[in-house]
Amino acid sequence: MKFLDLVRLVFENLGRRKARVGLTAFGVVIGTSAVLVLVSLAIGLQRNANEQLYGIGDLTQIQVYPNYGSEGDIRPYGGGGGGGGGSTATLITNQTLKDFAAIPGVAAVVPRDYFNGGLMMQMDRLEGYGSVIGIGLTNLTDLGLTARVGTTEITKTTVVVGSQVALNFYDPRLRPGQEPPAPPDLMGQTIRIVLIRWNQDGTETRKTIQARVVGVLEESRGEADWSIYLPLEEVTKWNEWALGRRINRDKDGYNQVIVKAADPRATLDITNIIVEMGYQAYTPQSFVEGINSFYLILQIIFGGVGAIALFVAAIGIANTMTMAILERTREIGLMKAIGATNRDVMSIFLGEAAGIGLVGGLGGVLFGWTAGQIINVLALAYLAGQSASQGGPPPSVAVYTPAWLPIFVVVFATLIGLLSGLYPALRAATLVPIQALKYE
Amino acid sequence: MLVQTTALSKRFKMGEVVVTALDAVDLGVAANAFCLILGPSGSGKSTLLHLLGGLDRATSGGIRVAEENIDTLDENGLARFRRTQVGFVFQSYNLISSMTALENVAFPMQFAAIPARQRKDRALELLTRVGMSDRAHHKPGELSGGQQQRVAVARALVNQPRLILADEPTGNLDTASGESIMELLGQLQREGATVVMVTHDTRLLKFATQQVHLLDGKIVPPPESAALNQE
Repeated sequence: MKFLDLVRLVFENLGRRKARVGLTAFGVVIGTSAVLVLVSLAIGLQRNANEQLYGIGDLTQIQVYPNYGSEGDIRPYGGGGGGGGGSTATLITNQTLKDFAAIPGVAAVVPRDYFNGGLMMQMDRLEGYGSVIGIGLTNLTDLGLTARVGTTEITKTTVVVGSQVALNFYDPRLRPGQEPPAPPDLMGQTIRIVLIRWNQDGTETRKTIQARVVGVLEESRGEADWSIYLPLEEVTKWNEWALGRRINRDKDGYNQVIVKAADPRATLDITNIIVEMGYQAYTPQSFVEGINSFYLILQIIFGGVGAIALFVAAIGIANTMTMAILERTREIGLMKAIGATNRDVMSIFLGEAAGIGLVGGLGGVLFGWTAGQIINVLALAYLAGQSASQGGPPPSVAVYTPAWLPIFVVVFATLIGLLSGLYPALRAATLVPIQALKYE
Repeated sequence: MLVQTTALSKRFKMGEVVVTALDAVDLGVAANAFCLILGPSGSGKSTLLHLLGGLDRATSGGIRVAEENIDTLDENGLARFRRTQVGFVFQSYNLISSMTALENVAFPMQFAAIPARQRKDRALELLTRVGMSDRAHHKPGELSGGQQQRVAVARALVNQPRLILADEPTGNLDTASGESIMELLGQLQREGATVVMVTHDTRLLKFATQQVHLLDGKIVPPPESAALNQE
């Protein structure tokens, strides 16, 4: 039997019993639209979550720290006083930086360091505090930071400050009841950075450095907001002064390195390589991957709920086909008498079962897609109101249907139909012709 | 001999009891014969016809039809045999009610993978031959019993079979319609077809060139009353 003849015959046969086929297919419509809507919802939720997450940090950045062994306490510069357990430490040396840079997919390796001593800032009458970060690059845009005013370039005598640093300035001579002064505009101002070293005998030594603020960063909702950026060499010099000895990076190592991946998708792989090399490495990407695997599980659960509906529909198809075969036993006998092979009969009934699945699948996609659009309109209106009251960007989509999903759902529904028809079709195909013909 | 059976037996199990429907039947039908198988209900005549057409399998014995031992064929072989060598005409016509007369006649050719255009032409030609061309696009429900049986005869002829097997084709028809169906089968036989037909109506003996009487699954001599038409 030719394939086109088979398809035509199958749909003619389905057309003979419109009401019953329609009702059975409606079961499939419910199942497939449930799968479509629920999986689309899970995917939509994931996209929303990712949109929000991409705001919290640059997903290409990996923070790498030396591994000081199982004790887990951080001892900058080898602990100075003897280095008793120092042999287990995995230091980040200049060679390590080269090794990191050699990992495939790494775009940049940027060492950074905090000033390890007392620090105070002065501007006119105001005093302030903040965390000083020395960074091994000349332009902060490489770390994904942008300037609100001024530049992101840092030189030996200039600093770039985070967006919230100005809030840390206060008037030390303020009397109770007096109005505190407004946060100063630091842009263009020269600030004095006072470094404090505590000596062995309990006295302290101060050193004052003047630096001009050449840039204020855009808010990043991260550490950068409260930081003052300087070249790494400057901060290293200050640390040497505070420590009272020279710092040899090959022996003392770096305290922290930012490894930047060229592509966010490579971030986790690079992180794993660095961890295997014996360092501590952290990336927001691992958090994102965790979130993603949660949404994958959500998709599977939602899909499973839809699949239960589809399973019920499959039983409906099997039932309809079994009934059809009982009713059409004589017709099966006749087909065999006029030369149909077992395979022909099997194909016809399998085709009819798959046809019900296909019709139901197409209907389910249409129905589910429409339902998804309605949910989108309603949910987005509601969520936009919610996010407006809480701050933050509104979600762009609630239910998202990727192109592969409807295709998958239709193919799946057809396959379900085919499987449901397997047993009835097999029964039809193996009927003894004369018994089928004599069936009343 | 176009048809030859040797010691053909068929036994059914009806619950605990084994019923012998055919008991070592040796039957030969020559090509271009009009063979009438007669016998009362339960004599095994329909069973014999079904075995000749490959619709059922014998318990023992051999059947040779059109140079083929059909008792040794597998399922696919039997399907091919039914498709190419035999045409069936049933008492209850067995037309598919949702198809027109033309579609019913063309239906067997789908299983022979004949192109649609050719199927239609051939079906129309056969409907013309049985005098039903003007009702080609009517469904069985819109046709009389005699007309339906004519369509069924056209369908039996569609794959140019060597053997036409008719199971009480006049059983559901009034005398006039039955007579005209017999005329049609007789005409086909005169044109070269071989017809084996089962009936219990001895009045139809005038159309036969060969008669076989069955009783309790065995071939018996013709009773005195049944005179063979010797034309």
